[in-house]
Amino acid sequence: MSNPLIDMEKPDVIFCIGTNMTECHPVAATGLKKAIAHGSRMIVADPRKIPLARLAQLYLPIRVGSDVALLLGMAHVIAREGLVDRQFMDSRTSGGDEFIEHVKPFTPEWAAEITGVPAKDIETAAIWYGSAEQGAIYYTLGITEHICGVDNVQSLCNLALMTGNIGREGTGVNPMRGQNNIQGAGDCGAVPSHFPGFQSCAEPENARKFSEAYGTEIDAEKGITKVTALNQCGDQIRALLIDGENTVVSDPEREHCEHALKSLDHLVVIDIFLTETGELADVVLPATSWGETDGVCANTERRVQRLRAAVPPAGQAKPDWWIVSQIAQRIGTPGFEYESAKDIFNELCGLSPIYAGLDWDRIDQGEYQWPVPDKDHPGTPILHVREFKNGRGLFKILGYRDPAEVIDDDFPVWLTTGRRLQSYHTRTQTGRSQGIDYLLSEELLEVHPHDVASWGLVDGGQCHLSSRRGKIMAKIKATDQSPRGTVFCSFSFNDTPVNILTGSGYDPVTETAELKVCAVRVEPA
Amino acid sequence: MALLSNSDIIEHWKSAAAPLLPVLHAFHDRDGHLSEDALRAVSDGLGIPIAELFGSVTFYHHFAREAGGRDAPRVCTGNICALRGAHELLDALRSEGATPMPCAGRCDQPIPVLRGDKVFVGLTADSLAHGPTPLPPRYPGDGEECVFSAIREPGRATLPGYRNSGGYEGLEKLIKSGSPGETIELVNESKLAGRGGAGFPTGRKWQAVADAEGESKFIVCNADEGEPGCFKDRAIMDHDPHAVLEGMIIAGYACGAGQGFIYLRYEYPETFAGLERAIADADAAGLLGENILGSGFSFRIDVRRGAGAYICGEEGSLLNSLEGKHPFPRNRPPFPVTHGYNQQPTAVNNVETLASVPHIARRGAAWYCALGIGDQAGTKLISLSGDIERPGNYEVPLGLPLQTLLNDWAGGAPHGREIQAVTMAGLSGGFLAGADLNVTLDEPSIRSCGSFLGAGGVIVFDDSRDMVKAARDAMEFFAHESCGKCFPCRIGTQRLTERLAGEAGPASLADWKTEVEDIGSTMRATSACGLGVAAPMITDSLMKYFPDKVEKHVQT
Amino acid sequence: MIVDATQGRALRMTLDGEEVRFSDGETIYEVATRQHTPIPTLCYDPRLEPFGGCRMCVVEVEGARTPVASCTTPATAGMVVRTKNVALEKHRKTLLELVVSENREVDVDPLRGYASQEVATLVDEYGARTGRFQGQRSGTSNETDDNPFIKRDYDLCISCYRCVRVCAEQEGDHAIAVMNRGFQTQITTEFNGRLKDSACTFCGQCVQTCPTGALGDIKAMRAEPLPGELKKTRTICPYCGVGCSVDLLTKGERLVGVQPAMDGPANKGALCIKGQFAFDFVHHEERLKTPLVRGDDGELHEASWDEALDRAADGFRRAREEHGRYSIYGVASGRAPHEAAYTMQKFIRAGFGTNYIDNCSRA
Ligand SMILES: Cc1cc2nc3c(=O)[nH]c(=O)nc-3n(C[C@H](O)[C@H](O)[C@H](O)COP(=O)(O)O)c2cc1C
Ligand code: SF4
Ligand code: SF4
Ligand code: SF4
Ligand code: FES
Repeated sequence: MSNPLIDMEKPDVIFCIGTNMTECHPVAATGLKKAIAHGSRMIVADPRKIPLARLAQLYLPIRVGSDVALLLGMAHVIAREGLVDRQFMDSRTSGGDEFIEHVKPFTPEWAAEITGVPAKDIETAAIWYGSAEQGAIYYTLGITEHICGVDNVQSLCNLALMTGNIGREGTGVNPMRGQNNIQGAGDCGAVPSHFPGFQSCAEPENARKFSEAYGTEIDAEKGITKVTALNQCGDQIRALLIDGENTVVSDPEREHCEHALKSLDHLVVIDIFLTETGELADVVLPATSWGETDGVCANTERRVQRLRAAVPPAGQAKPDWWIVSQIAQRIGTPGFEYESAKDIFNELCGLSPIYAGLDWDRIDQGEYQWPVPDKDHPGTPILHVREFKNGRGLFKILGYRDPAEVIDDDFPVWLTTGRRLQSYHTRTQTGRSQGIDYLLSEELLEVHPHDVASWGLVDGGQCHLSSRRGKIMAKIKATDQSPRGTVFCSFSFNDTPVNILTGSGYDPVTETAELKVCAVRVEPA
Repeated sequence: MALLSNSDIIEHWKSAAAPLLPVLHAFHDRDGHLSEDALRAVSDGLGIPIAELFGSVTFYHHFAREAGGRDAPRVCTGNICALRGAHELLDALRSEGATPMPCAGRCDQPIPVLRGDKVFVGLTADSLAHGPTPLPPRYPGDGEECVFSAIREPGRATLPGYRNSGGYEGLEKLIKSGSPGETIELVNESKLAGRGGAGFPTGRKWQAVADAEGESKFIVCNADEGEPGCFKDRAIMDHDPHAVLEGMIIAGYACGAGQGFIYLRYEYPETFAGLERAIADADAAGLLGENILGSGFSFRIDVRRGAGAYICGEEGSLLNSLEGKHPFPRNRPPFPVTHGYNQQPTAVNNVETLASVPHIARRGAAWYCALGIGDQAGTKLISLSGDIERPGNYEVPLGLPLQTLLNDWAGGAPHGREIQAVTMAGLSGGFLAGADLNVTLDEPSIRSCGSFLGAGGVIVFDDSRDMVKAARDAMEFFAHESCGKCFPCRIGTQRLTERLAGEAGPASLADWKTEVEDIGSTMRATSACGLGVAAPMITDSLMKYFPDKVEKHVQT
Repeated sequence: MIVDATQGRALRMTLDGEEVRFSDGETIYEVATRQHTPIPTLCYDPRLEPFGGCRMCVVEVEGARTPVASCTTPATAGMVVRTKNVALEKHRKTLLELVVSENREVDVDPLRGYASQEVATLVDEYGARTGRFQGQRSGTSNETDDNPFIKRDYDLCISCYRCVRVCAEQEGDHAIAVMNRGFQTQITTEFNGRLKDSACTFCGQCVQTCPTGALGDIKAMRAEPLPGELKKTRTICPYCGVGCSVDLLTKGERLVGVQPAMDGPANKGALCIKGQFAFDFVHHEERLKTPLVRGDDGELHEASWDEALDRAADGFRRAREEHGRYSIYGVASGRAPHEAAYTMQKFIRAGFGTNYIDNCSRA
């Protein structure tokens, strides 16, 4: 997030798009609810009438995958109505004039045609956001899990840049990170493009720095993504080390994924339970879980916080770092003689400029948000205050593209997927916590009541759900949370494996799968 | 007429001011109760969380949640009616689904029974009759009346009748040749103080509203009249409704308000109809609405009906109730004059206070001041009921000896009995008895006896009455009406009731008294609103005047 | 612009005989707390709008006829306040005696909730177990709600409405409300039904603010009979990216419950159902307790760490030898701590010189 969580109570106009925040980031959503209670206005764009939409003063029920069109239409209105923050654009950004020229043809009527949202609502949304004192954008995977995920994010940045809604309290473009330490995984360099601290792998200087630190020659070139790696399993990729991920259930194109893992020579899985993925491994190594592990994590607002062990490990379980270090040592890699999590974190701080001012003791109370470039630095709750990372904020010229797969006669229904409040991911943890079943014991395919009737289905009955990639059974729940012609299901339950159906396409830049859109057929079972 | 649909009702009220109460009443009237379906529709339509709406609906005594409940008879079992056989009448009507209700504000008449939109009175099931509110008895004093001075004029309740007897002249004078500032000055000079209980100087209240910053300002006429033994406000509203409207318009003009509300207790359905009629007539005559009398000043009035909760007469509760919130009293400060309806500056005034204003406007501050006796300025309506020969509403000059009212004006206790005790301020002032019956009717005199005049309800108990039982009935009322917000009152009224009823409490007199005194002292010192502060006056005065009866009660 | 006459000048008042400064908008209670002058409260939760229900916080203000509730009364310049004297302490004791008289029990296990000891602590401090003011008890426990998380033991409720207010003001769910009035007051849901059928999201905030334990954490309460001292360890919720701070409750070697950290930088005492109630997977019987290695029979078998680690290392070594360093790939976790992600990427980069590492952010 560009801004801290505490800022969520402050904007006068809130724009949420592609985020089911009350279910996926419930405590963050309480900030928005407070803002609304104190008079802020909220716009929610989402294909489904999620709980957040019911709290909003303006709800834009966009067709799945049409975000860019909506955002271009809004940019058009903001420019047309003279709501552009000229001073901000002139002093802080570049490419603005071209962008404003570019959006001229994208009228709200044009956007209405694609998104299905009435043009006047698009106008209202644009005018509200464009005239906000403090306008803040929040988004989650509803923006990124598309073939145009990068374009979606860029479109949001364009809106913030043209209205100067960034770099100040209560504003910003704020992705809500889904997993407790997904931010940390990136911070620590567990990505093919960056060393720890988001230092680019393609930068020879960085490669040199890490080669030196690690005592090995490291490529000054990006690696491949996990998606590509899975595609190459059995060919180029022969051995895989997976830490704490149930790839088989959480990733799209399940059959393809299972096949990929099976064709490896060597699969090692570190986890706290024997997951569906672990079942395919050659070696499964038991890790200590949360509550048993000392360590560090970073939340969605870049806050670096301490995890502490409260109980001894289950059986012989060991911390992930210990396990990985042991394997490293056994293949003869130097530099893994760690004795504690503290040693490792302090090594990270020494190599990462955004953590340079931190160490194990300083993060004890969790008061720092990175970047913290030196020991005298108080941390950075708000990013881009005086300047952007690379100087000026760049507008991106982009256009609307259809999703990888659109509905047709064979597959006439949109399927979109996501999470639910009571379950987390593949339920390895929530599913094993007592009581959760009381609220959510099975997966339900959410279908609009009229569709239930006209497709010959029964509320509570079973249906066949098929896409170009496969077919599953699902139980039906009639709800007006789904719009007509679009159905929803979460990926939490292994017995309703929607990831057999998804995976129609990937964003060309990030290779994120388009989990939010796929064309399906729904038939009575 | 076809029944209105859920959405018809919601749409009709949605953008009105203070919509919740009228929407609930519309469903209540349509269906005969408030169904789950209706409440869900209201919750969606007005954006009130359903749990909160449900909770608040249960707060009000008269919202029925079972089919047919609205029209089932409600029998007043208030303190005076209880003396007249209300419980027997209730039993007689049980087969029709009758339930009890606290004092319904008709203590000068036989027992009132509320059925839907009509109130019947009678002592037995077959003698129940529907009739008009009695006019105040002919003025027995040798001074002059103010509020009641024209109320007996024929047709006074109609607009022409009102205008024939000087109505709206005061408003016209102030609006055409005065100014808001002068209006407030006039009221200040008259020394008019609140007649609803607290006695705050009216001119100062208006000044505070006029001075406060706000987007819009409001006048609220407090017509909740929930205090047992009080029925004066209904007499004014039924026989002189335009005086209330004129008073409100003048208040609006003085304070710079554009909207007024009359918050009317549920038990006065006929009064509701009368007020609506008067407002429509005044509207049509250009006395309300846009650009009143061509002055550029605009003001509208809406009547909102309560639903049975004494605490809604407390101004903070009243405002919460109007706003559709749970009707707990509000913390003070801030006061309504700066943070009232919708947190905007608001003058909350009693019916009687407002109805005095047109007379003051017409006849001058000096005239009004001089109506009082000695240092006292003006008059006060007293609702007199109980064991008294001629119950009714009397307008007394402030400073009149209580005994003069009781004996000379109202004929003393009937059947040749002696007056044993009276209550003050309805029930809120506790009892006066013995030598303290020699007070004069004004705050300084009554307060020197540890009580207060308040809204002016006086209930008389003759020497045949069981005063412990009277105290218990009174405390039961407070316990029934305690809103439950603050600890001392919520638990204290219950504990005091139990002790007066002999249901719980120490067996030793000394312990009993210490407990009752300790509870009372903490209630007085720490309660969050006037209800909890006032309730222990019942036990205090009981122990003060009737120690022997208390002793007997504890011992048996 | 209108400049407030008080601006610029420091605002001062007298608190227990000492002159203290305060800022505009502060209540007497806030000023006193800042001055380390304790004032007892029951209906107060610093995160909520002051309510003024319990009246424990009354103080004497010079010039006022009766004591005022310090939690709701703004401090004003020149105010002279006394927070303690014989009369105030007597009222506080009476209030507590009244509270004791309306409840089935005062002493509850601290496992019920974060604030569950507040009443008992004050009652002891004031010696209010005198048995005075006997009479009917208020509140009726809800025996029909079958939810496995929140005990609704309203026999112990003192009608402070902290639960109702926290649900509305902090959580924004408005799932619970106050029903009836006076002594009949009862905490309820829509149509007095189950929490499951209401807007409740089982975030547990009501449980944690309840000062009596009337609302109890059912999952934690299962550990009441366990021997041993209750310990708290501060950590971060293992689920979403908000990063709520929690205190883990342990008895011996067992994790028995979770309480929100009221001073957690990201959550200020708030949690959701996952952070509050989904903790016991840690002790689930299906936890992996030993390494597993696939045998010649194609099945996974328990193995010693040495054996398993050697086997794991062997596979990577062999892949590098046979297929080169680009044949090895690492997937780090978005759920494990920094140290896991860091060692994972270092394992790939230092071990094979490639950037063949990713994490699960894309799923
Ligand atoms: C428990 C309680 C009940 C009250 N009921 C009434 C009432 O029914 N009518 C009324 O005018 N004032 C009532 N009051 C007084 C009001 O709070 C308020 O002081 C009054 O309406 C102000 O109007 P006034 O200044 O004209 O008297 C009540 C006060 C309390 C504490
Ligand atoms: S004194 Fe009684 S009526 Fe007034 S706020 Fe307290 S509980 Fe409610
Ligand atoms: S349940 Fe607890 S928090 Fe709620 S009102 Fe009762 S005592 Fe207070
Ligand atoms: S308690 Fe809920 S909102 Fe907070 S971090 Fe955990 S999952 Fe996220
Ligand atoms: S803390 Fe002030 S009244 Fe409860």
